[in-house]
Amino acid sequence: MTAASVSPANPRRERLRLRMHSAREFVGRFAQHPDGVIGLAILIVFSVLALIPTLLVGRLETATIASGLPLQGPDATHILGTDDLGRDILNLTVHGTRISMLIGLLATLVTVVIGTSFGIVAGYVGGVVDAILMRITDFFLVLPTFVLALILAPIVLDLIGSDALILGIRANLFVTVIVIGVTSWASTARIIRSQALSVRERMFVDRARVIGGSSGHIMRRHILPNVVNLIVANTVLTFAGAVLTETTLAFVGLGDPFDPSWGQILNAAESRGAPGLGAWWFFAPPAACVVLVVLAFTLVGGALDDVLNPRARLRR
Amino acid sequence: MTASTDPTRPGQAEIRGRRQRPLPRQADPDARLLVVENLRTYFTLSSGTVKAVDGVSFELHDGEALGIAGESGCGKTTTALSLVRLLPANAKVVGGSVKFFGIDLATKSENALRRYRWREISVIFQGAMNALNPVRRVGDQVAEPIIERLGVPKAEANRRARELLELVGIARNRAADYPHQLSGGMRQRAMIAMALACDPAIVIGDEPTTALDVMVQAQILELLERLRAQLGLSLILITHDLSVIAETCDRVLVMYAGRVAEEGPVGTLFSGPRHPYTQMLLAAIPNLASDRRLLGTIPGSPPDLRTPPPGCRFHPRCPLVLDVCREIVPDEVRYADGVRVACHLYPPGGDGTRRPIPIVEVTGADASGVTRAPAGGLAP
Repeated sequence: MTAASVSPANPRRERLRLRMHSAREFVGRFAQHPDGVIGLAILIVFSVLALIPTLLVGRLETATIASGLPLQGPDATHILGTDDLGRDILNLTVHGTRISMLIGLLATLVTVVIGTSFGIVAGYVGGVVDAILMRITDFFLVLPTFVLALILAPIVLDLIGSDALILGIRANLFVTVIVIGVTSWASTARIIRSQALSVRERMFVDRARVIGGSSGHIMRRHILPNVVNLIVANTVLTFAGAVLTETTLAFVGLGDPFDPSWGQILNAAESRGAPGLGAWWFFAPPAACVVLVVLAFTLVGGALDDVLNPRARLRR
Repeated sequence: MTASTDPTRPGQAEIRGRRQRPLPRQADPDARLLVVENLRTYFTLSSGTVKAVDGVSFELHDGEALGIAGESGCGKTTTALSLVRLLPANAKVVGGSVKFFGIDLATKSENALRRYRWREISVIFQGAMNALNPVRRVGDQVAEPIIERLGVPKAEANRRARELLELVGIARNRAADYPHQLSGGMRQRAMIAMALACDPAIVIGDEPTTALDVMVQAQILELLERLRAQLGLSLILITHDLSVIAETCDRVLVMYAGRVAEEGPVGTLFSGPRHPYTQMLLAAIPNLASDRRLLGTIPGSPPDLRTPPPGCRFHPRCPLVLDVCREIVPDEVRYADGVRVACHLYPPGGDGTRRPIPIVEVTGADASGVTRAPAGGLAP
């Protein structure tokens, strides 16, 4: 009787209520995937580590303020031991989370934005545009990550100096972000394009065109919402891939030596001969972190794919 | 909390009264609503040219409902969609004129024509599920033409969309539902709301009730009827279901192989069909009162329109075929009772009765059924 069911007076509140409702529904469906929930929990833990490392383990230790002796095994003061400079491995690993996650996030952003735009435009517009965009995509699809990083990193550093900041990020990290972004958007573009091609043929797209929607409007309002589930599931997996690639690049020495990422620690462990010295605590923690994060993203990605894909939902 | 949610409230008609918007600038206010003359639409295929619509003329009067009937592939949909050229890429309107208030839409450029689509002539598409985007809320989709066509701000457009949904009998709060949350009939209603969004002068219903069950079909037809009276719409209804036309339309245009076979007021035409094709179509309607075992059929199928038969296009299937039918295309003749027919059996200048023909064996159709009226729903 309070006219709450109609509420034409306050469509904004009505809209918010609906958003909340669908959000709750989404959470409820996601919660039915225990693997996804486990993955999400792992990611939350790592996000906290990335956000407040100093609060948890103190400020980042350097050679000058190292708290222990070189290559100490795990004990009560240094739960995960120390590296060859006497720095606490736990301290380094927790601080490394931030760089690894940040690079993963930025690279994923680059990947998704470029990949989605290329995919939707190529799929919807078609014809010559499609052909040109897809040839460009093919070019990037076959670009080897390492070779590109090897070429790009020195060029960028030479041009702007290794201390320079680009968009608030140190040049070295920026190169890593660009390299990962540039080499991984192509497969996203391919996936999105294939879906856009199929959505384009649906009748509601014709209807939208008849109604007067411009191509931009149709791509944003009709194609994009129909490929968003693919984008989300793909993004999560891209994130995992980006973290892995960052680790690999840093491991082979293409990272930023001043910002400890997991790959950097692994690189240091390798170059100091930690495996040969039996100092497993030097490389095991960062390696475990990489594995856990990638695993967590994969679990969440699988669960999201299930939740967002209505047909997969029916199968259950 | 009294009548405010009653969709049939008479005040609604005043809210969205007839022609609130001015006519297009070039329009002649004294001209007739829609006059189509000698419309020809051809499809280009690798194997030849399909003359899907080949010289069709008709008129639509203000507030009138015109039914277009015929078998599948007779050019019904192509005829209607040619009015605003909503055609596949390989189809082209190659001739004729489509005069909307005196403005010839057939010669308009694609860009100029866009102004008329949806704002003046809108379409209720066949198969509402496919014409609605599954991942967008119904209300947003109904609001889409209001925003995109009329440039109305979003909040106002959403309000209007809810009004429209209410007008077609969907509760306002269902505007936030996704298409899969609506029943088939409600989706079709939402499509109708979308067609009405810009207050068009003419609505084309492209088999709006196909794929709906009979009860829902009746509700949708009733809704169209009500909207027509309430909003003063003019309706072109494409259907192969003659009983739908008998119930809803004022006039009917029977098409065969891209041409008009017969056209006239529903009552007159259904009670006394002249063209053998119309007669046979009507004989194919099940009739409770007649022989239950045999239903009239029309042997054969419509011709391949890449190579249409010479003369009258119906002659290969016509039980009353004359020699002249095989060679000469019959002229369309209009009789005093308003019926126009293109058949050599009804020569110009006659009184509208069939001319005597040499007795031939009537094949295929049940001779007694030929002049029989359809089962029910005839206009008085």
